[in-house]
Amino acid sequence: MSSLTVLYDPECGLCRRAHEWLAEQSKLVELNFVPCASDEARQRYPQLNHELTKQDLTVITDDGWVYFGPKAWLMVLWALARYRDWSYRLAAPELLPTTKRVVSVISQNRYQISRAAGLSR
Amino acid sequence: MTIGLSTYLIYLAISIALTIWVARTLHKNGRVFLVDVFHGNEALADSVNHLLVVGFYLINFGYVSLALKLGYTIETAEQSVEALSVKIGLVLLVLGAMHFFNLFIFSRMRRRTNARHQPPIGPDAFTPVQPAAPQEA
Repeated sequence: MSSLTVLYDPECGLCRRAHEWLAEQSKLVELNFVPCASDEARQRYPQLNHELTKQDLTVITDDGWVYFGPKAWLMVLWALARYRDWSYRLAAPELLPTTKRVVSVISQNRYQISRAAGLSR
Repeated sequence: MTIGLSTYLIYLAISIALTIWVARTLHKNGRVFLVDVFHGNEALADSVNHLLVVGFYLINFGYVSLALKLGYTIETAEQSVEALSVKIGLVLLVLGAMHFFNLFIFSRMRRRTNARHQPPIGPDAFTPVQPAAPQEA
């Protein structure tokens, strides 16, 4: 695969901050950012459940494979030159449950975290 | 020239010829592997290939020279042939071991780079991708 489409939540400050950070990283796979449930997202993925993509980060490969939630975060790490090794470590069977738990907690509380960190609009 | 000295010289000639032959074979056929490992970066592949062959020569010539000494005097032609067969047999075994070690390194390098091209985790679902809409009125 040559590119990943990242459906992110444009309403959340933490996500915007993450987006800026990602833009600076050197990548092994190109990342395209599309706001979730936007017209562009609906046009590109007519059969995707767009309500679900509002709940958590979604990554879609250029051939149509969908990664949701913690798996999407792992795919984003995998796309980065500096963190590809980490994506394998965090996805190893011993660490995967912890990875999923931590990422889910962060994702579900992203608005509170953004507010607490002063990142919300 | 005594029979002992000629045994040594024959041993050296055969061992050096064998080492050069194996090194050249490795150099020629290992290149394809390395080009694949380094994703078509031929300059890097050639450089690593060359360095591997240098290491191969150093270890083999080192062994050939260390194993030269017989430790007993040779008086007949039969003894000479026997001594040669033992010494050259050992050189061949060392060359064989080195050759398989090289192959092992090549295949491991190849497996490692291929593994890093696989995503760390399987997908959740599949969705058809609509190509970007042509900008038409």
